[in-house]
Amino acid sequence: MIFFEFAKRNLARHKFRSVLAVIGIVIGVLAITALGILGNSVRLSASEQLCMIGNELVVFPYGEEAISEDNFEKIEKVANAIPVESNVDKVVLNGESELVMIYGMRSEDIPKLLEKEEGQFLKHGSLNCLVGSRLADEYELRVGERATIKSQKPRIVGILKERGIGFDINPDNAIIVSDKMFSSLYNSSGYNSVIVKVDRIEDVEEARKEIEDRLNKKEEVVMVMELKMIVEGIKSLFNTISIFLLGIGAISLVVAGVSILNVMMMSTVERTKEIGVMRAIGTSRSGILRMFLFESLILGTIGGVIGAILGFGVGFLVDVLMLKEASYLFAPSSILYIFLGIAFGIGTSVISGLYPAWKASRLKPIEALRYE
Amino acid sequence: MNVVELVEVTKVYELPRGSIKALDNVTASIESGEFISIMGPSGSGKTTLLNIIGCLDTPTSGRVAIGGENINGLGDDQLTKIRRDKIGFVFQQFNLIPTLTALENIEYPVILKGLNGHEKKGKELLRSVGIDEKLGENKPNELSGGEQQRIAIARALANDPDIILADEPTGNLDSKTSKDILQLLKVTNGRGKTIIVVTHDPQVASYTKRTFRLVDGRVEDEVGK
Repeated sequence: MIFFEFAKRNLARHKFRSVLAVIGIVIGVLAITALGILGNSVRLSASEQLCMIGNELVVFPYGEEAISEDNFEKIEKVANAIPVESNVDKVVLNGESELVMIYGMRSEDIPKLLEKEEGQFLKHGSLNCLVGSRLADEYELRVGERATIKSQKPRIVGILKERGIGFDINPDNAIIVSDKMFSSLYNSSGYNSVIVKVDRIEDVEEARKEIEDRLNKKEEVVMVMELKMIVEGIKSLFNTISIFLLGIGAISLVVAGVSILNVMMMSTVERTKEIGVMRAIGTSRSGILRMFLFESLILGTIGGVIGAILGFGVGFLVDVLMLKEASYLFAPSSILYIFLGIAFGIGTSVISGLYPAWKASRLKPIEALRYE
Repeated sequence: MNVVELVEVTKVYELPRGSIKALDNVTASIESGEFISIMGPSGSGKTTLLNIIGCLDTPTSGRVAIGGENINGLGDDQLTKIRRDKIGFVFQQFNLIPTLTALENIEYPVILKGLNGHEKKGKELLRSVGIDEKLGENKPNELSGGEQQRIAIARALANDPDIILADEPTGNLDSKTSKDILQLLKVTNGRGKTIIVVTHDPQVASYTKRTFRLVDGRVEDEVGK
């Protein structure tokens, strides 16, 4: 392809200028790729750490200390409800004393909400306990060992799977006991929260209304939190962050595009006479057009590829240094930004090259030949 | 056969200060194999006439046929094709393409036409204009004026055109080199090519067999030998 060869040689003719134009694209693509990967990694890392269950409602007491048995029964009529009691207390684990969250739940409810890593769940009325994964890691707890809570020494029968930060309960750093065990430890006056599970995520809104209608008749006694709303709020926050970061990248690409436009315009003016000669001896308009478009395509491709490689490197560094986790880098949604970066780089260059190329191809041969 | 036919060709340039008639009702025909010079003072319309014959410009009125093909009303792409296939240009300032080597400059029109064997043809032409094959690897700016003009003539011949148009081909050369170039043009003409030279130098015109003298856009005088 003769016009591709021309494009290569013309770029080589002004090496410094071409390198500067490429650097512009490199920076733009680098920004898009690195920031895109960063935004995506933050999102991935957050959704990995947050336990986002959309079809749950959490009912908290409002103005009172706890949710009474009566009110719990009213909630249970609306949908499947799991009452949760909780308290923070000093617990001795492997000889070390620590303040730990203790949840009291009905034995049959536990498998509905949590998964176990090893051991088994609590039997009905059991006086044993389950421990969260992080707690187990930290104190090197094993199934069969005992924890000391007050005067009781419940045996650890199971270790839970890591669940992440939740808005209902946070079992990772907690101990779970049965309701019977809990009431033997503390004088409970009701439930600290009630988790309501609806079958379909679309029913969340309706269940929430019904609970509020039934309980908050005279005065407000409970507050209902929809996890769906929180989940969506967080998702949209991360989308906004991603778009913002991409916007920054896009601005640098626009600047790069303007610099390519500038370089190409200079080039068409400088080469006016040459274009005139080429046209005179039989080069068609489309040939001139292609020659210039190839030039911007080459600049864009080189800049795009270098920028994407560097962007991947920067994304790697940021992931490792800030998030301490490199695996997000290889997630398909992160890899996508590499191709997005290259595509934007090439696209910007070619679009910037369109006008100069069109202008060069429209030069009248006789006028171009006369140009000095 | 007439390779160039001009019938009542007029070219008017519209300028802000009024219109200028660069060519005024020019009728002429040039036969295949002729060696012709176009002379006249500056502003007499020489270049306009050359541009019209070279399909770089179109007349305001009148009929133009190049190599038997009527060019009136043709679009840019068709005119470009005629320039590529039927016309060879030689310029005062040589106008070789600086990014191509001498040999590549000669090959370029053949490549444009999409023909194979451009390298063989290029080397042949290089030899025929008296340039060493090694010099062919040089870029134009590494060659002397005379060498560049020889390459330009070879390039003009690359697609085997009907006509060679040379605009002051010796204007940038010293007198010895000028003679060599004119000699080369004469030899080329001797091989059967039609050559039209625009010049204001009577010395150059003396090499040609026929001269058009242009004054104020009209062919005043046709001198044949």
